[in-house]
Amino acid sequence: MLLSRPICLILTGTAMLILISSRETRAVPSYSRQTGLPCATCHFAPPELTPFGRKFKLDGYVFTTKAEVTDDKKGHNAALAILEAFPLSVIFDASFTETKSPQPGTQNGNFLFPQAASLFLAGKWASHVGSFVQVTYDSQGDHFSWDNTDIRYANATSLFGKPLSYGVTFNNNPTVEDLWNSTPAWGFPFTGSNVAPGPTAGALINGGLAQDVAGVGAYGMWNEHIYLAGTIYRSEHIGAPQPNAGTGFPINIRGVAPYWRVAYQTVKDNNSLEVGMYGLHLKSTPNAVTGPEDSITDWAVDFQYDRTIPQFNNDVLSIRGSYIRENSSLAATFLDTGTGPGASFPRHHLNTVQGNIEYHFGTKLSGTAGLFSVNGTPDPVLFPQAAVSGSANGDPRSNGYILNLSWWPQQNIDLAVQYTGYKRFNGLQTNYDGAGRDASANNTVYLLARFVF
Amino acid sequence: MKQISRLVVATASLGFVTLTLSGLVQAQNDAEKIYKTNCVLCHAPDGSGNSSSGKALKAEDLRSGLVQKKSDAELAATITNGKGKMPAFGKKLKPEDITQLVAFIRALPKK
Repeated sequence: MLLSRPICLILTGTAMLILISSRETRAVPSYSRQTGLPCATCHFAPPELTPFGRKFKLDGYVFTTKAEVTDDKKGHNAALAILEAFPLSVIFDASFTETKSPQPGTQNGNFLFPQAASLFLAGKWASHVGSFVQVTYDSQGDHFSWDNTDIRYANATSLFGKPLSYGVTFNNNPTVEDLWNSTPAWGFPFTGSNVAPGPTAGALINGGLAQDVAGVGAYGMWNEHIYLAGTIYRSEHIGAPQPNAGTGFPINIRGVAPYWRVAYQTVKDNNSLEVGMYGLHLKSTPNAVTGPEDSITDWAVDFQYDRTIPQFNNDVLSIRGSYIRENSSLAATFLDTGTGPGASFPRHHLNTVQGNIEYHFGTKLSGTAGLFSVNGTPDPVLFPQAAVSGSANGDPRSNGYILNLSWWPQQNIDLAVQYTGYKRFNGLQTNYDGAGRDASANNTVYLLARFVF
Repeated sequence: MKQISRLVVATASLGFVTLTLSGLVQAQNDAEKIYKTNCVLCHAPDGSGNSSSGKALKAEDLRSGLVQKKSDAELAATITNGKGKMPAFGKKLKPEDITQLVAFIRALPKK
């Protein structure tokens, strides 16, 4: 019984931890070197994509204006088109985190130098083939590990007299291949502390599978309006012995997990609008690859609106929002599998609502205000009591706000301050963990210095 | 003998026309390929600049009088060196590619 609770906490808690790390978001200078275009052509502020940035990604990261080694395809000879410059980039993050109250027995005010450092292989590999590949050094783990990856083949044709961009993607994080910043992989907050506590409950698609799965999918954008994408995923567990036995992993996908995405976008004059939906379904056996299965389905709707304001020197106003509904039948977690039940009953649900509004003062400064709320089925076994990370009443409810101010003295240097405030944390406003800690004790000030080159 | 001469002339003429046309078609295909690879992202397949990224960057309509009234040398210089938000393609495209591209732009249906 005692062992099962941490396992269930992993199920939900790692989702949020991975979420935080997966939101260490990136803009990649090797794309700039490849295209000859400044970062601001593709990003309102990294990682937020402009319509041009979305098209660059849609087309497989291959657009270039720079010198290439080429050989035209003639007869039975293969063609060649590779960049003369190797598309490598670096990000270096240093950060400072302070919570309102220290976590028991630990120092407050943590300076991480670095918090993380990433290497990117990002650019054109061949005609129609390009990549966003990231490996990241994490100072807490003190090692490099494989991070977000999206390798894609893209091409274009016409369908019913309208342009069709299509492609195939190999990636390791549902929504990492997406074009908008209203979905989890590239959504707000665009950065965050990996020191401060975060709410325990989180939808699986909200970063819970990031870098732990491998998938292959296809996508298409028709008439620059209708976007369809689908990917199937399998558990990968990088760093674990292969073949996968599932031991020690709360999610082991049985069969394949389909991910789907539908979106409509329109760009007119100074306005860009996207509305869409996405989702994921999987069956999983915690800590094993045989036996009873949990079934989890996420449905989400999202929107993004960007308005360029010519009267204010082309400043940009961005508004984004999403709602994720997770329905789960945790039959395997509920059943006693030797470690005791990890849930009081099988059927649960979780609602996640996020919204944010951002104003870009040119390309030098941006300010964002966001709200978030998570609620769902209370379950004292699934969300057990524990100091700082637990819940005294088994309620997954958390809500609060995030304020961010980012200053870009150069397009590749980001100095940011971010404040996260909690109105409710893991179910309660006061004494939420049963050990006397209030939700507001986790309010966090986070300072970031990011260098990208 | 006259018939043989006519046959030779006709065959030669047919061959010349075929080769010329295929050369023109090939040049057109090459130019279209160069255009699709390098220009469509902003200027759209029809040159209108009506793509989502083109609209966002306010890319020129290549069919417009504003563009078409420019000389070949001016168009080539813009492609080579870039202008405004448009990047320079001089390091990627060969001069003959740029010449073909200018011809392709000239051949776009006028607005």
